[in-house]
Amino acid sequence: MADGQTDVLVMKGIAKGFPGVQALEGVDFTLRSHEIHALVGENGAGKSTLMKVLTGVERPDAGTIALAGRTVAPRSTQQAQALGISTVYQEVNLCPNLTVAENVLLGHEPHRRGKIDWRAVHARARELLLRLNVDVDVTLPLDTYPVAIQQMVAIVRALEIGSAKVLILDEPTSSLDAAETAQLFQAMRTIRAQGTGIVFITHFLDQVYEISDRITVLRNGALVGTYETRALPRLELVAKMIGRSLTELDEMAKTKLETARGIKPETTVSARALGKSGAIAPFDLELHAGEVVGLAGLLGSGRTELASVLFGSEAPDQGTLAVGGAPVEDHSPLASIQRGVALCPEDRKSQGIVDELTIRENIALALQASRGWFRYLTVEQQYELAEKYIELLNIVTPSPDQLVKNLSGGNQQKVILARWLATHPRLLILDEPTRGIDIGAKAEIQKLVLSLAEEGMSCMFISSELEEVMRTSHRIVVLRDREKVSEFSGEVQEQELMQAMAGSAR
Amino acid sequence: MPTSIGGLLSRNKRFVPLAVTIVMLLLAYGFGAYHYAAMREPQVFFNLFRNYPFLLISAVGMTFVIISGGIDLSVSGVVALTTVVVAALLRAGWDAWAVIGFVLAMGTLYGALMGSFITYLKVQPFIATLAGMWIARGMCFFISDDAIPIRDRTFRILARTKILIPGLADPDTKTGAFVSFLVVAAIVVLLVAIYVAHYTRFGRTVYALGGNERSAQLMGLPVQRTKVLVYTISGFCSALAGVTLSISVMSGHGLYASNFEMDVIASVVMGGAPLSGGTGYVFGTLLGVLVNIVIQSIIQFNGQLSSWWTKIVIGALTLMFIGVQSYMLTRKGRAKQRTAARADRSILMRRRRKQVVTIAAAAAVLLVAVRGVNRWVRQATGGGVEAVAVQGEACQDPPLRTLGLTVPTSDGAPVIVFERNGGPRCVGEVFTVFADGRVVADDGKEVREERSTPAEVAQVLAEIDGLGWFSDELYDTWHTRCRECYGYAVTVASQGRVKQVKGVDGGTDAPARYWDAVKAIHGLVRKEKER
Amino acid sequence: MSPAGNPRHRKLTESRLLFPVLALALILVFDFFYVPGFFTITNRDGNLYGNLIDILRNGSAVMLLAIGMTFVIATGGVDLSVGAVMAIAASVAAVMMNPVILGTSIGTDIEKFVTDPSFTYSPLWEVILVTLAVSTLCGLWNGLLIAYGRIQAIMATLILMIAGRGIAQLITNGVRIQIFYEPFAYIGNGWLVLPFSLYIVAAVFALAWVLTRRTAIGLFIESVGINATSSYFSGINEKRIKVLAYAFSGFCAGVAGLVASSNIRTSDANNLGWGYELDAILAVAIGGTLTTGGRFSLAASLVGALVMQATTTSILAIGVPAFAVQAIKGFVVVLVLLLYSEQLRALLRKLTSQWGA
Repeated sequence: MADGQTDVLVMKGIAKGFPGVQALEGVDFTLRSHEIHALVGENGAGKSTLMKVLTGVERPDAGTIALAGRTVAPRSTQQAQALGISTVYQEVNLCPNLTVAENVLLGHEPHRRGKIDWRAVHARARELLLRLNVDVDVTLPLDTYPVAIQQMVAIVRALEIGSAKVLILDEPTSSLDAAETAQLFQAMRTIRAQGTGIVFITHFLDQVYEISDRITVLRNGALVGTYETRALPRLELVAKMIGRSLTELDEMAKTKLETARGIKPETTVSARALGKSGAIAPFDLELHAGEVVGLAGLLGSGRTELASVLFGSEAPDQGTLAVGGAPVEDHSPLASIQRGVALCPEDRKSQGIVDELTIRENIALALQASRGWFRYLTVEQQYELAEKYIELLNIVTPSPDQLVKNLSGGNQQKVILARWLATHPRLLILDEPTRGIDIGAKAEIQKLVLSLAEEGMSCMFISSELEEVMRTSHRIVVLRDREKVSEFSGEVQEQELMQAMAGSAR
Repeated sequence: MPTSIGGLLSRNKRFVPLAVTIVMLLLAYGFGAYHYAAMREPQVFFNLFRNYPFLLISAVGMTFVIISGGIDLSVSGVVALTTVVVAALLRAGWDAWAVIGFVLAMGTLYGALMGSFITYLKVQPFIATLAGMWIARGMCFFISDDAIPIRDRTFRILARTKILIPGLADPDTKTGAFVSFLVVAAIVVLLVAIYVAHYTRFGRTVYALGGNERSAQLMGLPVQRTKVLVYTISGFCSALAGVTLSISVMSGHGLYASNFEMDVIASVVMGGAPLSGGTGYVFGTLLGVLVNIVIQSIIQFNGQLSSWWTKIVIGALTLMFIGVQSYMLTRKGRAKQRTAARADRSILMRRRRKQVVTIAAAAAVLLVAVRGVNRWVRQATGGGVEAVAVQGEACQDPPLRTLGLTVPTSDGAPVIVFERNGGPRCVGEVFTVFADGRVVADDGKEVREERSTPAEVAQVLAEIDGLGWFSDELYDTWHTRCRECYGYAVTVASQGRVKQVKGVDGGTDAPARYWDAVKAIHGLVRKEKER
Repeated sequence: MSPAGNPRHRKLTESRLLFPVLALALILVFDFFYVPGFFTITNRDGNLYGNLIDILRNGSAVMLLAIGMTFVIATGGVDLSVGAVMAIAASVAAVMMNPVILGTSIGTDIEKFVTDPSFTYSPLWEVILVTLAVSTLCGLWNGLLIAYGRIQAIMATLILMIAGRGIAQLITNGVRIQIFYEPFAYIGNGWLVLPFSLYIVAAVFALAWVLTRRTAIGLFIESVGINATSSYFSGINEKRIKVLAYAFSGFCAGVAGLVASSNIRTSDANNLGWGYELDAILAVAIGGTLTTGGRFSLAASLVGALVMQATTTSILAIGVPAFAVQAIKGFVVVLVLLLYSEQLRALLRKLTSQWGA
């Protein structure tokens, strides 16, 4: 620790469980003053839960929090803010219709002679923003400015209203370009110099190395470790995030990818220079019948965007796509389904299940959509369909009339899978199909994907768990920073994959 | 760093809805002043205000609710209830100021009650306030079925006080342009509201609430308390508007202010405050009310367009405003939804264009359809003759010849004079009925005389009298010439009383028994018209 | 298992019917004790009359509106314009049968018109067809504004609510056109053992049922109402479903307008259907369809409409004067909202769980 630095925040032994999943287990986290501390981990690592505990949104099952030496237990964001813990989220929780100055001081405006002293409000807001090198007209509405500036305003407010002991920045750079990021970092350095401890949550490893002093890695709800940034090579960081130690990697023999047993030469889907600006750079990709192509990459590398563009839920703005040899003109989910392309979305809860409908209805949904309004699947037919897949996929439920919201995560995922299988697609894209599912169900799904391929289906398997991708795919495509960077097949060493994902072998 | 040009555009963007309203107001007023000389008189302008302070006061209260993102449909009920309670309490002998204080408190409490329902029980605002409107209006009839007149001296003074406009009036002779005291009260309310909206923390919280409720909550603002307060304010304003109304018409009735909430909401929306909340200026509401009033006046002055055009025009204008507001909001809403680096401009433009086209098309369809219907109806009724109302042209109808007739003319003292005046295809027909059974039909070109029996005439007279012809229950509902509807002027003399009542053919706002009387007269004269 | 499947499907709707049927039963029990002779049904020339029949007959318009409103609310929206569309429909019908009444000269026809009950300017089938087409168009207009114009449902239908009455009055030139044509009057006044309007309600209900349960439309409406994003990923076109829902609501409002105006033999553009929109919304709410959208039950909405009508009839039957009905209905609304509110339900759950423990 440098001179004058103190432990401003000490979290010890934090544990938090939800029905079905233990989000955090025995996690320690220390934040010093005058420090920028990066918090990293893949999806489900527990970063957001840890911050929710810190800001009072969730109560920990176990563990203590000490702020500047005093034990605290915040029960709400207001309380946390009063204690000096402020958060700025990715969605910038401000009021876009009010002016910049108002947003900074809303609820705490200085008064003069019984009414708000606007001159003072504007002056103070301007002064605070200038300290962070932000020179804007504070009398304009917040939404005249891009997200980058809005974030600065949120930061300024957080520091001004709270006592600025701890500032949490949750994925602040996701919507910023390089110049804006640089500006943000400059501001962060200024804030750090003033003594605040900053928690910097991000998945951009470049930025972690650029700005942070220390790094804490979480994985699957547990603490992997806290390290000095200077002392942690990049590849080692990635390894820790994914769950491998460096020595393990060296010792691991090359893994053979699944042999392409039943891969037919015919191309089911062919994409040429297909891309969407801002989402995914133009890429070439070919998928064959009977083949499983795995998509690997870190969080934010563009995996879901690639899948969306292939499926049509996001329309591409350049390049061509052909399905079964025929070029695709209209990009929409319905057209894709009718053509034989299916996408099992990433967010099961908000994009996949229709929770108040029964299993039977959920399974029949996409098939029915592809048939239109009037070619109705009778209720008997729906039951037949549902029962067939309940058995095939081993969905645990007393009856097909159970509401999907009452099922476990794994079973919900199977229902969604059943929905897509019922449409007999040529290409089935699975985006994080095993996230938040128990081990047993995970294995089932992986086996299922391989058997589908054997029967002639094309599959695309997207997952952030590298070993899963390796175990299930015939070929692996690696993405980094919204761009397809390489393809692997045959024999592959995990280290190679990770290097491709991480971008350098530092 | 945003450039000064960008800043200028952005600054203007905020005021665009307000600017649109001002332009519309100027256009409307200019149009009216150009075509109708009467509108150019300054007094007419001030008279516009005279009838509408209650609209302004209520709209100010509604503005707060709408900015906060809610809606208050109960205003008409509260206004009506207030008028009835005021009239009833005054009749019971209460002091005028005590009454005013009481009803204001009542309105405030009622608003607070509804606000609590919406905030704590999470009921949707429009359902809760609609129920509130029903209950309030229903309560009126528990107090009294009929209108209660107000005779209190204080109220009368308040009603008649003229406040002269400096520069346009002569204080010595007490003549010239003036506004009533109520208008001044409305302006005061407006000014207070502007102060609260822009210079108090409460006001800013209301805006924050409408902009993004969740953010406001996370920012530590007293969201729930503010929500209840806006409805409380609206209740207070409705009560105050009711007081103003009761002073204006010097009576109270449960049927007053029907469909009033639509007028109020339309005024607020036309003043530039979107129904989704978050933006809008209280000053804009004043302009919106003015636009509303001016349009109604133009339609009245025109006389050729029926008053229902008002509703349609207001509806179309409101739609246009909503369209503009929606357009401006899409840009902000969609841009925020993207978590990707940049909102895709081309898709955004396409979506916005589609949306604007849809809304513009809808408004156009509405107006075209309505004009088409109008034309079709005119054809059907004209029996094939095209009769298209031409706006602004001089009135073609011959005037009612017996207009203003108070004493039936000529010898033998006619007892009934019945004039039917039609549109361009019909010449005014005047039937004069005498006590001895003579019926003289005069359509301006020829005069015929027929005979009925004195007994029949007497019977019809008795029937008409029994319908309350000479009581207050029958009153004029035809005021302007050249409306599309046709005018009747019926003068009846019986037992020393004479009364003329004018009405519009089939007009729905005429007292119902009027038509019974006309039917009875028809029975008498119809034989004459038969070929 | 499939034959057993159907009863299981019905059980779902049964649980939705429970509350409204219970409410209706409560009101009827109240009537049984407090209103002597409420349940008497008299038989005159083979037709049934009585208070119960009155409830059915007077509630026909609201029942029709509730059917259409169910569609709309299930997609997550609301239709405030149904009352105005009723007025428009009535105006169109009246003008078609009777355009001359607007005329200036009292033509020769007027005699025949007033005295001959089978005289009309347009044949009945044409009147009905055009009226329903117009009202469906109004609904379509709403649907397009909401689905493609992306305007909030309340705002868009509010416009038609404001302008619609003006349009209705424009069509009739403000005249309260009287209808003398008997076959038309039969719609609202005829009796075929039971009031004829009831058969119309049954027909529209059957149509709606076929549309929602014998095609995919019902499933799609529910899916869109529950989770529009998931529905999008499954290939459902949310916009078309919404447009359909509002168009059908317009259609139902048209039928309701025909029934209501035929009932009073007049087209009263000012007052016809005034306040009916809230009745319809409440009927659907009582029937268990959440205002946020999702699962719906047409039968439950009908029962909800009956509950509203039974309340009104019962209130009148115990002698409360007509003007008070509005206020009392307002209180009923408040009561219903309270009962259905999440807060109260959570409280009840807490209480009952404590007792059970």
